[in-house]
Amino acid sequence: MKKIMIVDDEPGVTYTVKYGLESLDSQYEVTCVDNGKRCIELLEQNQIPDLILLDIMLPGMNGWAIYKTIKEHPSWKDIPIVLLTDRNDAIAKNSGSFLANDFINKPFKIPELKIRIERLLNH
Amino acid sequence: MTKKTQFSLSVKLTFIVVSIAAVIIFSLTYINLSEQASFFEKNYAEKSVTLVKSLDASITFYLQNQLNETEQLQQYIETVSEKNDEILNLSINVPTELGGLKTLVSNNENLINTSANTYNIIAYEKNVVVYIPRHIESSHTITVIVPLNISGTIVGTYEIVLSMNQAYAAFDTEMRMLIIVSIISLFLLTFGSLYLLRRTIVKPIIQFRNAVYRTGGGNLNERITITSQDELGQLASAFNQMTTDLKNSQYQIEQYSKMLEGLLDQKDEFIKQLGHDLKNPLVPLVNLLPIIAEKEKDPTVKEHLKMIVKNAEYMRDLVIKTLQLARLRSPNTQFEFEHLNLNEFIVQVITNQEYFLKENNIQVKTTIPPNVTVKADRLQLIELFNNLITNAVKYTPKEQNGGTIAIEAQQQGTEVTISISDTGIGMTEEQLTKVFTEFFKVDKTRQELDSSGLGLSICQRIIEKHSGKIWVNSPGVGKGTTFFFTLPTGDHN
Repeated sequence: MKKIMIVDDEPGVTYTVKYGLESLDSQYEVTCVDNGKRCIELLEQNQIPDLILLDIMLPGMNGWAIYKTIKEHPSWKDIPIVLLTDRNDAIAKNSGSFLANDFINKPFKIPELKIRIERLLNH
Repeated sequence: MTKKTQFSLSVKLTFIVVSIAAVIIFSLTYINLSEQASFFEKNYAEKSVTLVKSLDASITFYLQNQLNETEQLQQYIETVSEKNDEILNLSINVPTELGGLKTLVSNNENLINTSANTYNIIAYEKNVVVYIPRHIESSHTITVIVPLNISGTIVGTYEIVLSMNQAYAAFDTEMRMLIIVSIISLFLLTFGSLYLLRRTIVKPIIQFRNAVYRTGGGNLNERITITSQDELGQLASAFNQMTTDLKNSQYQIEQYSKMLEGLLDQKDEFIKQLGHDLKNPLVPLVNLLPIIAEKEKDPTVKEHLKMIVKNAEYMRDLVIKTLQLARLRSPNTQFEFEHLNLNEFIVQVITNQEYFLKENNIQVKTTIPPNVTVKADRLQLIELFNNLITNAVKYTPKEQNGGTIAIEAQQQGTEVTISISDTGIGMTEEQLTKVFTEFFKVDKTRQELDSSGLGLSICQRIIEKHSGKIWVNSPGVGKGTTFFFTLPTGDHN
């Protein structure tokens, strides 16, 4: 059972991902978090997931800040992250200064998401 | 300036001014000289009369006694002539007793000279005639003829020819001085005119010319400082007014274009924001609705759900494409250009589309030279090919017994032209002109939910960002369509 954490403030998105990954395929356990602060709190409580799905446009701490915090933390930096945004937007905003493990553009379909998750977990 | 106008304005104007001045000055000089000459002659005539009068008494007295002694008389007139430097000749005409005329002349040479056809006769007193012969140019003479009056009876005449040479010498000097002064004043006038014209007309005109050049060059702060109140001064203030007006208009245009740019940015930002906001609610729609539709047992509800799924998919396509277009329009979007082997790249694109192509019974034939490379953004180029291939498949009727897509490439210099042809429904002339317009759909009735009408706009944007061209050709309805586009090879030669 792989643990997936999804950070997104849209209940429709987190619900769909949780359902799509848990009910259709019983090999994932999905934790839904709707803000960056909560995500960091959980990590600090040592609830380390196998993979994080991270939205960019979040209230409060935005996706880039969360990404940076995780990737700069010694024990969290190896957690693979899939950014829920357009790859070109991500490159444009950051001028290629860092690269996420993967990107998926909304509105994605669950099978596409699953392909990316599996690719990163089996790597 | 044309080659014909070799002389500057000041030279031309000076030429005119000096020509007029020369005519005036020389006319005045001539008139002055003529007046002086006649005054001089009149004056001299008076003098000569005075001289003759002073001699008259002694001559009369001598003749009274010696009239008949010819030899003595001859001697007498020669003596008188010699005594006075100015007298050239003294002659006496008296009638003889036989009824003839006796003439005695002091100097024979001068007598010949004084005989003239034209005279300027100046009569001073009764019976005294003074005349100046006009045809002899070298020697200036004046002749005075006086009646010989002896005891109240006129017995003959005597005449005295006087030389004016000495007097004329002085007068000539005066004339020469006058001509020299005229010429000098003409020279002064020439240089004075040149200087004044340069200062008052040519210099301001040059100032104008330079100001006009600079204004034409885009400097609208140009002002001309001509303070004179004449036409040039008025022209300068009109010019200054014009540049001020131009500057104001330019400022207004700049403001407008800034405002328009702002509005365009706002529009793009709005589309982007709207797209982003529409993305999230679509995630459950496109993922959960198919599951529900799949599980539904009631055929009517199942049919409804399938229609809803199709609409949700259409909306997803619209949102994705709208955002893509907005991103392509944005000046902030960066492209990653790399050299791609065209043949390998297209094989990859077709492999990715294999399932879709097989499903629609479409075959793809490629004719691409093996070593052609293009400089392009890989992701954008994939997008372009996907759009064009999807279009080709979409507009090839399913009822037809399969279709063919032909992809060809040709390199010309530093440019590669790629064509994608299908065997589909083709296009009319009117449709050909509109395909790249946003939201234009070739077939409004049949393909409503399959097409966003944005695919070709996106292709056009992508090609523009690669500095290429895209165009379309169709031999007519039912005869297939060919899209052409160019990409740079990225080589310098």
